[in-house]
Amino acid sequence: MATTRKAAIVGGNRIPFARSNSAYAQASNQDMLTATLDGLVARFGLQGKQLGEVVAGAVLKHSRDFNLTRESVLGSKLSATTPAYDVQQACGTGLEAAILVANKVALGQIESGIAGGVDTTSDAPLAVGDDLRRALIGLNNARTLQQRLKAIGKIRPGQLVPEAPRNAEPRTGLAMGDHAAITAEEWEIGREEQDELAVRSHRNMAAAYDRGFFDDLVTPFLGLARDNNLRPDSSLEKLSTLKPVFGKGEGATMTAGNSTPLTDGASAVLLASDEWAEARGLPVLAHLVDAQTAAVDYVHGGEGLLMAPVYAMPVMLARNGLTLQDFDFYEIHEAFASTVLATLKAWEDADFCKAKLGLDAPLGSIDRGKLNVNGSSLAAGHPFAATGGRIVAQLAKTLHEAGPGKRGLISICAAGGQGVVAILES
Amino acid sequence: MPTTILESAPSMARLLARAALTTRGRGGDLPDTRLARNGVQVDPADLAAYDRVCRFPLTDTLPATAPHLLTFPLQVALMSDRSFPLALPGLVHVRNRIEVLRPVGADEALDLEVWAERFAAHRSGATVDLCATASTGGSEVWRSRSTYLARGATAPEGAPEADVYVPVGDLARPAATWRVPDDAGRRYAKVSGDVNPIHLSGLTAKAFGFKRAIAHGMWVKARVLGALSGRLPDAFTVDVAFRKPLFLPSTVTLSTAQADGGWDVAVRNAASGTEHLIGTIRPL
Repeated sequence: MATTRKAAIVGGNRIPFARSNSAYAQASNQDMLTATLDGLVARFGLQGKQLGEVVAGAVLKHSRDFNLTRESVLGSKLSATTPAYDVQQACGTGLEAAILVANKVALGQIESGIAGGVDTTSDAPLAVGDDLRRALIGLNNARTLQQRLKAIGKIRPGQLVPEAPRNAEPRTGLAMGDHAAITAEEWEIGREEQDELAVRSHRNMAAAYDRGFFDDLVTPFLGLARDNNLRPDSSLEKLSTLKPVFGKGEGATMTAGNSTPLTDGASAVLLASDEWAEARGLPVLAHLVDAQTAAVDYVHGGEGLLMAPVYAMPVMLARNGLTLQDFDFYEIHEAFASTVLATLKAWEDADFCKAKLGLDAPLGSIDRGKLNVNGSSLAAGHPFAATGGRIVAQLAKTLHEAGPGKRGLISICAAGGQGVVAILES
Repeated sequence: MPTTILESAPSMARLLARAALTTRGRGGDLPDTRLARNGVQVDPADLAAYDRVCRFPLTDTLPATAPHLLTFPLQVALMSDRSFPLALPGLVHVRNRIEVLRPVGADEALDLEVWAERFAAHRSGATVDLCATASTGGSEVWRSRSTYLARGATAPEGAPEADVYVPVGDLARPAATWRVPDDAGRRYAKVSGDVNPIHLSGLTAKAFGFKRAIAHGMWVKARVLGALSGRLPDAFTVDVAFRKPLFLPSTVTLSTAQADGGWDVAVRNAASGTEHLIGTIRPL
């Protein structure tokens, strides 16, 4: 087997993200992922080409979409002989997909691949309730008229209300925002600093659009050319008028303005070996250097649901001989503004870093001017599985623009108390 | 001590009706009879339905609370018999301790035995313990002790003090929020056979002095254990006190904290903080 090599990030593509039940209300996950793949194909001349593999996933999936990524490949302009598989790690899906593709490239098992993700909260997989589902299975298995009548007799009108997927943790019954609110309170994250982070995200992303930064990262879809959650004129004054939606009482700080909305969208990233890219005259924006996942016990262990990246980071930094300050850009996924701020605060906290992370000294603070410089999820929106691909492509381009030898850090929190972090380098 | 061996599980509805019709004229000390059933196996479909309602994963091992479903009809038979000194309607389940001596396979044939003991004085009445064991091949694998309170009743002269409280440590942080629906009592009644009217509907509960239907204590206890699936020792004691009734529907919180190799647990009303269940789980 060959020695390992670092996978190159050639480029990315996504469709503009759309707030739930807006521009993409009629689009399925497969529609959006296929369109996103085709945009990438067009950008890098991959029409009819067979790639090593395509890896993608969705968090909210219809049961008929069991082979979502392969079906999307078959409907795309890629060669039908390109293999594909689905992954799902909640909001970590997109970044995890990129890590999986990068690892195969690194091991020499493939020369090129696409990593992506997609989610829709508009075309959501409504399910029949458990009672009705069992009654229908019974009806399906019935062989005689008598058995069928008996099975039909078990159906009650009250069972006909469908079950919508809930943005809640199955084991705790709490919405992700409720979990984040607990963490915000524990870390004493203020309302104003959350609103400031949200304003900065909108302004950074609007500025990036205006200077054409997203021209080769985004392909218009269904009449949308920019993320429709983006508010360039967002201001502290406006955000401060919003009422809290998560948390309780006086101490509640989390609003619809400093939390991500439900969003539809898809993203994809093209990864390859340097040789593969060079042979096709394609650029290498950055390399995926390393990655790490972690998980926390948010159910019975007392840790915050979205705090796992805090634990993943020191492991990855130590393995690479780096400190938290050795980076030119930081991409910390803005699930909620308070999540970003709690993450940073935890890394600055000497007691926490010693007791929970087992470190002699805290990881320390970062230069906030290097954080989410082209906007993040508060501005773009957050179609769960599509966020990783957006961030990887965006950071790779940011590093490439800054010149060779620049380092970037990604941190993404995910449902189930998980977190994924990664290092990119131009 | 005479032991009566039953060939099948007695009908719960019939026992409850008999108990309701024979409340008068009871008194004296506890009977020294024991009721038993031999070679009892759990029906796999019944177990699956029970697991679903209590949110246990479906496995080849019985949840700690499952043998209680088998011994409970025998306990009710004992309590509804005229020789039992306290009237069954009005008895409140205030404490339940289960010892799992080793994991019990779902297909094991269990020999069950139940009896009453420890008639005790309580500040608002008297308590009695209904004990049960499950054995295979002559060795015990599971034990339980259910303490019932009869308000206004009098324990015999020289009876010990009732012991209905389970001390727990600090349980500030909720681990989970449960929305307990209106039909939680009916669903548990269906899988457990405990068709006590106070659990079935608001109307039937009112007839027994409750403002609304209340959840089965053993269902709350089972859900606590379900929430700790995968985090329990092989052999353990789970001892809980049932505090205030859990009216249906309600939103409640579960709090858990590690303690002495096991857990302290509490189930409280999410809004008012009223305690419904507190308890301990300790390795044996």
